[in-house]
Amino acid sequence: MQEPLLRFDDVSKVYRNGVQGLSHVSFSVEAGEFVAVIGPSGAGKSTLLRSINRLQDITSGRVLIRGEDISRESGRKLRAMRAGIGMIFQNYNLVYRLSVMQNVLHGRLGYMSSWRGMLGLYSEEDREKAAALLEEIQMGDFLNARAADLSGGQKQRVGIARAFMQEPELLLCDEPIASLDPSSAKIIMDMLSAMTKRRHMACLVNLHQIDAAKTYAGRIIGLRRGTVVFDGPPEALTDAAVETIYGVPASELAMKECVS
Amino acid sequence: MMNRQELYVCRTMAGILLLSFLIATYYTGFDPMAVLLHLGEAWTFLTEDFLPPRFQFTPVILESLAVTVALAISSASVAAVLAAGAAVLGSELLSPSKALAAAVRGTATFLRNIPTLVWAFILFSSLGVGTGVGFTALVITSFAFMTRTFIEVIDEIPAGVVESLTAVGASFWERIFQCVFPSCITGFISWYLYCLEVNIRSSTIVGMVGGGGIGMVLLSYLKAFKYAEASGIILMIAVIVILVDRLTDFLRKKAAE
Repeated sequence: MQEPLLRFDDVSKVYRNGVQGLSHVSFSVEAGEFVAVIGPSGAGKSTLLRSINRLQDITSGRVLIRGEDISRESGRKLRAMRAGIGMIFQNYNLVYRLSVMQNVLHGRLGYMSSWRGMLGLYSEEDREKAAALLEEIQMGDFLNARAADLSGGQKQRVGIARAFMQEPELLLCDEPIASLDPSSAKIIMDMLSAMTKRRHMACLVNLHQIDAAKTYAGRIIGLRRGTVVFDGPPEALTDAAVETIYGVPASELAMKECVS
Repeated sequence: MMNRQELYVCRTMAGILLLSFLIATYYTGFDPMAVLLHLGEAWTFLTEDFLPPRFQFTPVILESLAVTVALAISSASVAAVLAAGAAVLGSELLSPSKALAAAVRGTATFLRNIPTLVWAFILFSSLGVGTGVGFTALVITSFAFMTRTFIEVIDEIPAGVVESLTAVGASFWERIFQCVFPSCITGFISWYLYCLEVNIRSSTIVGMVGGGGIGMVLLSYLKAFKYAEASGIILMIAVIVILVDRLTDFLRKKAAE
């Protein structure tokens, strides 16, 4: 049997202050799957995502990418594995003083020799690819704009282009729409959904909004206090299941979301 | 209106100030009356010996003015390059080790708290006088100052921006050159220009104690009792300091755009 694209094998994370981030998490993700990870704040959604590309170390267990344990790698090998995993952040995390083009080209850094990357000596092929990607996300007119001058939705689109520049097999999205207004949020989610489908790319999205998770995801993982308490298709996410994840009835949750 | 408690604090502060003034006066033997009595003499000295200033544009004076300015620019520039490297190692966000970061910051703080003039004296007594030694003294304090300020600039990079480059698989040097330096360059330039301003003044003083340049020439005129010429030189220094201030102000605004 072939190893899945991503496999969590009994992963636990205890923070130095004693807080349990993840507790015995096991699941796997196949190529092309679009998975939403939901759960209350502090449930370990970010910890889960960040342990996949080793922005955070885990305490025990294994995180396997195509059968290779990323939690044991370091140096050049770790860099190469990270290059194959794209990531999109809530706060976009672009280098704001650089141009849109330069930010997108950053997606190639993991594949380049360190000194070429340092000096920003990207190949003509990479530049053409970046331009094409920016066309695809309808940012073709902003090639030379400074990232700082863009709106939130536009910044997130540049973040998407940077991640796709990596040609990753797996895309991680940490609350990609939490800082956006509803219409920008919809554009971003539509793009993520269409672009990953076209490339048969696996995608893990942390989401606050249950309805967005239900609309876009083919599978939902529910986390509560670092434990997977739900794993199934969106149709199976009943009000009872939502209550298990959030600890409060679904109706109250909707109220809370309206208020906030 | 001040309330009762504020009034109390003010009174206490005033009392402490007065008391420290009295103690300091007693210890230093400073006599305020003597100053007032000799004000006339000082005034005559200033008006009759120093004024009117005599401007001389001899090659020696012009050249040493240029040396002083060059000393300030070169020392600030060399120190800025060194400080950019040290700041990377001293920033907790980027440093390969927390202990190294603490060591760099500690060293910079230590070096910075010893004034340039003291460094000049220490170096002159160990290496002898000369422009090169004056340069070294200026580099040490500029380096320490800019290391501290550059670290602060680096710490202001929004959290997560450097991390996003870690996530794409960028190496340490790629993160520094593609993310940290582009994000910090305006801040670095701004502090570099400030350091340049300070160095123009410091290099004159370092020159007076043996670092060469206009300070040395000024001292020789003062020692020869040629006060009118000395006053001309002082005014020339002032003009250069003002010009440099104006220029750096302008450049700082340009850089911030």
